[in-house]
Amino acid sequence: MPTRTVAVGSSSGLHARPAKLFVEAAAAAPVKVTIRVGDKKAVPAKSMLSVLALGAKKGTEVTLEADGDGADEALDGLAALLARDLDAEEPSDA
Amino acid sequence: MSELLDPRAIRLSETAADRDEAIRRCGAALVEIGAAEPGYVDTMLAREKSISTYVGEGVAIPHGTLGGKELVKRDALAVLRFPEGVDWDGEQVTVCVAIAAAGNGHVELLAALAEVLLDEDQARELREATETDTVVRLLGSIQEDSKS
Repeated sequence: MPTRTVAVGSSSGLHARPAKLFVEAAAAAPVKVTIRVGDKKAVPAKSMLSVLALGAKKGTEVTLEADGDGADEALDGLAALLARDLDAEEPSDA
Repeated sequence: MSELLDPRAIRLSETAADRDEAIRRCGAALVEIGAAEPGYVDTMLAREKSISTYVGEGVAIPHGTLGGKELVKRDALAVLRFPEGVDWDGEQVTVCVAIAAAGNGHVELLAALAEVLLDEDQARELREATETDTVVRLLGSIQEDSKS
């Protein structure tokens, strides 16, 4: 099954906003994607609560897994998103 | 109990006409317990406009933008329950767990909250809570072990 392991790039980890962006992207993927930290249980990548419960910080390696048509493309996109510093991309409206 | 969760910031029979009013009430609770400057509330509204803080199970977690961190005086939570519900961009929110966090490390805090909400029974208890003690029991174990 196609997998990708990537270190979380957001400076404050996979907290509320980066997690939400990731979850929305995972929900839009054509295949069912799971995410896990190390050997822990894989959880649905489109579940906000499950992703938050991972408690992944910057640098934490997470593994994405998916199967079916388009799995590789979906995983590439999601892995690239996780590797980015999404906190740095926040609009400076405050 | 956790210093993070001040009983004065647990308010279980709130009403709000809409999402923004609910966020203002959350922000006001954080300001009243001395956790944040009044300006923090505007950064909470800005954050919500940029991306919804709805997490599921009828719960939203309003908090400020990164720029709002300097307006946080101490890390704290506020739990506001809206028994009649608040429309949150099409989702129905019953409980807001508002967050004031000066550091970068509220990942553990969110993870602990998410664990509570992933348990259907605990999530329902939180939505139906009418006693401060119930909220403290459910969320009081969320510790601020997230210094960074």
